[in-house]
Amino acid sequence: MPETNTPYALIAEFETAADIMNAAVRVRDAGFRRWDVHTPYPVHGMDDAMGLQNSKVGWFTFFGGMTGFTTGMSMIWWMNKWDYPVVVGGKPLFSPMFAFPVSYELTILLASFGTLFGMLFLNRLPKLYNPLLKSRTFARFSNDRFFITIQCDDPKYSSTETRKLLEDSGGRQIHFVED
Amino acid sequence: MNSRTLSNIDTAVGHGRSARWFCWCLLISALAVIFGFVTVEGAEHATATATTALDSKLAGVSTQIQHEYTLGKQFLYSYLVAFMFFLSLCLGSLFLVILHHLFDAAWSVPTRRMLEHIASLAPVMLGLFLPILIFAPQIYGWMNIDPLGDHALQAKSVLFNRPAWTVVSVMLFCLWWLFSWRLRSHSLDQDKDGAASHTVAMRKWAAGGIFVFAFTLTLAAIYWMKSLQHAWFSTMYGVYYFAGSTWVTLATAYVLALYYKKSGPLKDVVHKRQLHDFGVLLFAFTVFYAYIHFSQYFLIWNAGIPEETFWYVLRETGSWWDVGMLIVFGHFFVPFLCLLRIDAKLSMTVMLPMAAWIWLMHYMDMQFNIMPVLHPTGMSLHIFDVLCFVGIGFVLITVFRRWFAAHPPYPLRDPRLKEAITHHEVKSAPSGIETH
Repeated sequence: MPETNTPYALIAEFETAADIMNAAVRVRDAGFRRWDVHTPYPVHGMDDAMGLQNSKVGWFTFFGGMTGFTTGMSMIWWMNKWDYPVVVGGKPLFSPMFAFPVSYELTILLASFGTLFGMLFLNRLPKLYNPLLKSRTFARFSNDRFFITIQCDDPKYSSTETRKLLEDSGGRQIHFVED
Repeated sequence: MNSRTLSNIDTAVGHGRSARWFCWCLLISALAVIFGFVTVEGAEHATATATTALDSKLAGVSTQIQHEYTLGKQFLYSYLVAFMFFLSLCLGSLFLVILHHLFDAAWSVPTRRMLEHIASLAPVMLGLFLPILIFAPQIYGWMNIDPLGDHALQAKSVLFNRPAWTVVSVMLFCLWWLFSWRLRSHSLDQDKDGAASHTVAMRKWAAGGIFVFAFTLTLAAIYWMKSLQHAWFSTMYGVYYFAGSTWVTLATAYVLALYYKKSGPLKDVVHKRQLHDFGVLLFAFTVFYAYIHFSQYFLIWNAGIPEETFWYVLRETGSWWDVGMLIVFGHFFVPFLCLLRIDAKLSMTVMLPMAAWIWLMHYMDMQFNIMPVLHPTGMSLHIFDVLCFVGIGFVLITVFRRWFAAHPPYPLRDPRLKEAITHHEVKSAPSGIETH
């Protein structure tokens, strides 16, 4: 494929999971940040090989859950104690006891919203267009090939060094895709 | 491998060290019995008087049996608290072994043997149960009152009569012994011949065992803890005890796996993944226990009928209120928040103090369930509490260590062992791979 003026990423193809594991370690150690590994199935140990840190999705979940809990508690407190006080079953106007089931449900609901939308946000999804799919060979990542893609806007990227790194790591069919 | 035959070790009544330790257990139990006879002398005539609590006249039930406090009773109650604590570990381990086979799990293969040993402590537990069996009327007030004068007792008299109580209590141990023995003995046989048929057999025992486990654990919780206040109702009591038991067992399994990894026997087979998965399950059961205990409290609080509330009213008296708060915060919030982060489950500075804290919390939970009957005005720790805990713990830990040393530390030829060892990757990111 001819190289264009606005390259998006460099793609290298690997034949086995072991190959791509070793290559991922080398790319990780070279300090790249905007890169990814594409495999037909989950490869055990790949997170470590890529140097992936704990996902930030957990924070979205946590704050979603906190929001849900406080919403439930304060909503019921406001409605039962303040806005429309009615004594039911001789119970106090507000007690965390009866507010708890609703707060708990809202905790779960908003925590799962936080998880889902946090994940979508962090992954920049939904993405209607991905330049990588322009590559003809790249589609085989869902069949029988393993790929490393390094984006050209990575701070460590250099047109010659990066290609050499991928070549040294055992990558084949190294080519660009344009944006 | 030891040259002794497996059946001897399994039943713990054969020759050798296991038999000697079984005799030790019997001796200690016998000493406890003699001690009990000395201290509760004459107490059997001090009949428990059934008094109706507030409002309960209307409902026509007697909700409280007032106990005369004696040193002998203090001993028996302390003993019961410690016994129920360690029974939790025994049953929790049986559950985890059964669960392993039901799900055809791979990750837990390396840690299965130690759990099999703990589950197989059931016959030792039966030996330790003897003081409770013999002095039951000193502990369980309902055994001393006439069912004809007590509607709640009459209605429950099918189960709540002393012959039934005694027979069923012994049978529970026999069933736990049967299932834990079969599961461990197949596992040990597989170490020798490597036959897959053992795995199939264990799976069958597990499939039947899960039902037997649920019924027997519920009966045990009702008979030995709940019946302290026989008039009370709670359909969640069995699962409540189960939740706490599995929780404390997971914390124990975590520490044991770590200890045996550091000290050698499980060095090559226990990896991050096993500890991580125990940590995740521990977190799940933290929430599950809170869910169950809240549900029990909430339903009783919401209905507000005296036949049920008296149980919690007693536990909100005096310093029992503080113990209740300790359970709300210490049994749930503290472990929940500490274990929330995924990396906390692999941090030794979090997990080791947490495991100790979990032991303390489960012990307080047992106190909260049992002791208010003896000390209705507030919690009071007695030296017997400590002695019974240490005594029972010592016997069980000694037997466990002997067994663990006498057998291979993990199932050597389990078909899933390789998978458990090689796939020891821990996914630090629960979602997929992020591109940034």
